[in-house]
Amino acid sequence: MYRVDITADLNDEDHTGYIWTFLDEARDPAQIRPAAIVIAGDEETAAVCQVVDLVPAGDGTIVHLKLLPGLVEDYRALVERSKAS
Amino acid sequence: MDSKTSGGRIEQRALLRDEQAPLGATVVVRGGNDTQVKLRRHAERTARAWSLDGRPLLGISVFAVLDMPLEKLLRQRFANFRNIYLPTVTRRARYGFDLLPTGQRPHFTVWLRRASDEELDRLLIALGDVQPNPEYAVSRHLT
Repeated sequence: MYRVDITADLNDEDHTGYIWTFLDEARDPAQIRPAAIVIAGDEETAAVCQVVDLVPAGDGTIVHLKLLPGLVEDYRALVERSKAS
Repeated sequence: MDSKTSGGRIEQRALLRDEQAPLGATVVVRGGNDTQVKLRRHAERTARAWSLDGRPLLGISVFAVLDMPLEKLLRQRFANFRNIYLPTVTRRARYGFDLLPTGQRPHFTVWLRRASDEELDRLLIALGDVQPNPEYAVSRHLT
């Protein structure tokens, strides 16, 4: 189970080639700013992404997300290694 | 090009790729473990952002296996998904769903008309059996 920063369908892409979702699906929208590293997806499927930009669309703001390589678990292990050294 | 409609949604008609529909035997990929609730949420998110011919576009995303082998597509784009669906274009069409060439190739949107319970149940059947993703966690190259 994941606790994501922003809910998204990681299948979704638009004409930019990036994953997209709405800013108001973030737990804390203030954390969602360009270049921020976030966990996106849902409780079952999540990925580490970088925020590309925020664009007005529909009745809200679309967030474009760049999918970064590796699993959330890989980043957790990376952080743990950095603490141990 | 002004691609916004009056509702602020991004109009997709002018953004659709000019390409032939995938052949019936083409496999399409969708990651995850979908339920009626999840599919409705995703379709409504799309309709909130996108329109087609001025009307909210209900749809969900899939990727067609067109320009690279399935294994490579799974490794590049679906490594975070434990499970995937791999229906063919023909199977989707049999259940009455059209594919729109949205976004960048090979992304497509499965177009829903109402996202009613009946239509979402039919979509779940059209997706076929969920199966383990053989490329899950394969492309983990963090240094």
